[in-house]
Amino acid sequence: MASLFSKIFRTGLVTEPFSPVDADVERVLEAISARTRNLLGRALAIREVDAGSCNGCEIEISGITGPTYDASQFGIHFVASPRHADMLLVTGPVTRNMELPLRKTYEATPDPKLVVAVGDCARTCGVFAGSYAIVGSVDTVIPVDVFVDGCPPTPTAILTGILAALDRR
Amino acid sequence: MQDLLFATLAIYVLGMISAIVLRRAAGRAAVAVFAALGSSMGAAAGVSVLVSGREVPLAPALSALHPQVQLQADPLGAVFLVLIGLVAVPAALYGFGYSKSYEGRYSLAALGVVLNALLLFLTLTVTATSPILFLFAWEGMTLAGFAAVLTEHDRQPTIRAATWYVAISHVGFLALVVMFLVLSGGDLSASFADIRTNAESLSPVALGAAFLLALAGFGAKAGIVPLHVWLPMAHPVAPSHISALLSGVVVKVAIYGFMRISLDLAGAGPAWWGGVALGIGAVSAIGGVLYALMQQDLKRLLAFSTVENVGIMLIAAGAAIVFRSYGLDELAILSIVACLYHALAHGVFKALLFLGAGSVLHATGSRDMEMFGGLSKRMPWTSAFFLLGAVAAAALPPLSGFASEWMVFQALLGGARIADPEGGAVMSVAAGALALAGGLAAACFVRAFGITFLGLPRSEESEVAHESPRSMRAGMGLLALGCIALGLLPSVIVPLLARAATGVEGRGAAVPSMQLGLALATPSGLSSFSPFALATMLLVAAAAIGLSIRMLQGPFRTRLSVTWGCGRFGQTSRMQYTATAFAEPLRRVFASVYRPLEDVSVDYHPDSKYFVYRITYASDLRQSFAAYFYHPLLLAVRIVAMRVRRLQSGSVHAYLLYVSLTVLLVLLVARVWH
Ligand code: SF4
Repeated sequence: MASLFSKIFRTGLVTEPFSPVDADVERVLEAISARTRNLLGRALAIREVDAGSCNGCEIEISGITGPTYDASQFGIHFVASPRHADMLLVTGPVTRNMELPLRKTYEATPDPKLVVAVGDCARTCGVFAGSYAIVGSVDTVIPVDVFVDGCPPTPTAILTGILAALDRR
Repeated sequence: MQDLLFATLAIYVLGMISAIVLRRAAGRAAVAVFAALGSSMGAAAGVSVLVSGREVPLAPALSALHPQVQLQADPLGAVFLVLIGLVAVPAALYGFGYSKSYEGRYSLAALGVVLNALLLFLTLTVTATSPILFLFAWEGMTLAGFAAVLTEHDRQPTIRAATWYVAISHVGFLALVVMFLVLSGGDLSASFADIRTNAESLSPVALGAAFLLALAGFGAKAGIVPLHVWLPMAHPVAPSHISALLSGVVVKVAIYGFMRISLDLAGAGPAWWGGVALGIGAVSAIGGVLYALMQQDLKRLLAFSTVENVGIMLIAAGAAIVFRSYGLDELAILSIVACLYHALAHGVFKALLFLGAGSVLHATGSRDMEMFGGLSKRMPWTSAFFLLGAVAAAALPPLSGFASEWMVFQALLGGARIADPEGGAVMSVAAGALALAGGLAAACFVRAFGITFLGLPRSEESEVAHESPRSMRAGMGLLALGCIALGLLPSVIVPLLARAATGVEGRGAAVPSMQLGLALATPSGLSSFSPFALATMLLVAAAAIGLSIRMLQGPFRTRLSVTWGCGRFGQTSRMQYTATAFAEPLRRVFASVYRPLEDVSVDYHPDSKYFVYRITYASDLRQSFAAYFYHPLLLAVRIVAMRVRRLQSGSVHAYLLYVSLTVLLVLLVARVWH
């Protein structure tokens, strides 16, 4: 215990210098940071809902929090309960089994209740269109603020979508 | 004034008669009115004794009947007269509505007679001035309690509980008779004043024996560990307003008896008396609350909590003996006051909780907490009152439990003044035990309130539960007011109790300087607190928290929606915490005390154990006292009884032989003796 604390004390905070993959990202992140501070007065809390995706979109979303994009520096963090969230990131076509949970999640989210639908599937059901297991696109179940296209979309695109959703309020 | 008590006793008798004569609603009303009237007059007599600070001979009309029947209220007894009134008036009021559900099922006449008889004997017990009268009243109280417990006489648990109760009570009674014989030098009709002088000439060994007998005899009635086994069985099965009296008053009268003997009649005892009382008190406090935590039966939980609180009172009484033996009179008086205050506080909040549990039982027909839930929506008044009682029981400010336990702590912390290291160590261990018991009690009452009243209903009966009728709510409301008053006004009540304490002391100790005013300061200047300031601060803090939540909320609107359950399809009451699950962590922590028995059995599909048909889980606590103390004892008694039975051959010749042998033996003994 003591050695752990002394190590924490001696080492301090260690982060890599931010090295964005493309020039756009930094601009988008800064804009999100400024906009959330303006709108909420604190960091943006996002709850991710997998409504039936192939998990390709999730890989890209988790990239947002990785060292390359490092969104938490800019006041974006993912939370475990919609009760704590300002925004829902919904991926995939909505399956029959996820329809009700998605509705309930939307219901449980406090204002401003932003919804960003991520990936082609969320808009068109993508390759899953026509399946018996699918209810439909995300906007047939809950109101959507912004769609992010791509299969899967890049983290930069997702962040741009988040910014667009914030700008609608 | 003098005949107030005679009127009280007469009114109780009228109450008994009216219970027999009148039927239905009129009978219930008459019983309640007489019981309430009688006990409030008794309380008035008690208050006037405390205010005037003088002993008042009571009911001279009775002494005219027979010179031996001398009743007197001295300040110590007066405190308990007040307690009887504080609990009995609301309980009688509540009983008017509550006993309606007994109409047609059980005898209302019996219930009414029992209620008034119990009050009558309680009043006699605390005003008796001779052992013979005391023992008579004591036995009457025991038998009235026995009849009360037996009200629902056609149920097996009731009969079992009543048998245990009456058996242990009578063992205690025997101890009391022997104790009085020792103290009075064989004359049970001597007055308490004679006993006081007689005790001064007794040897320390005889006095010590008398003390231990008193501890056992009164402890059997108060429910100290290990004589407590009957209490959690008997108190819950009585009708709820009688349970309130049993737990709120009857056990306190045992504390009265203990204080009367150990602090008054037997004179100033050595420190080891106090040490023994402290030790047993600490074990009772912790043991009581540990078992209370595990109960599923709401009233049984409350009964175990009574064992805990009796432990706390015994700790305070023991501390008083220890302090007195070291000559620390101020601290001794503080301890006595703390003990009396806790007796009042516990009497009121435990009665409130029992009445609350009775309302729940009335509404749902069950005492099982696993059947409850969601009652706060259906029974808003009852749940508010129960919450208030639970907060007081958990000793949180600014209610009655906090005020009394604060004083007990102050007294124990004063143990640092004892010159002997042993004395100080005992006190600090007792303070630690009290702190542990207090923390566990808080957990216990969070569980009792939360599982019963919050969440979703766990059964159909709870789903359709209804609020109690007005008379029952009024009874609970009075007790709730009592909890608040005892919490806010210790600075008014303490000086009155200090009179009782100096009366007990009676050795010229000055009335301690419990400061009046808004704050209450301990006599030795150890510390002080102001319940009013505390209550105001709590109110202000609550308002501030509410306001700041409003302000921090930002520009967004407030919306009511269902509880978030991870988006599950069905959200039912089966997904809630159960009473057992809530207590599970503590059950693990204290597994060495509980020694739980657990049994999990799983039925599989015969071909694959991945297909489970059914899982059953059963668990129980080993009743250590029953297993290691009472079962061997009962076994031994049974073996002896079987041996003795051989004497009963049924042959007249044998009996003739026994008779002549006995006569011969008696003659021989008489011959040798002289
Ligand atoms: S959009 Fe593409 S990556 Fe995302 S869920 Fe659909 S198929 Fe998977």
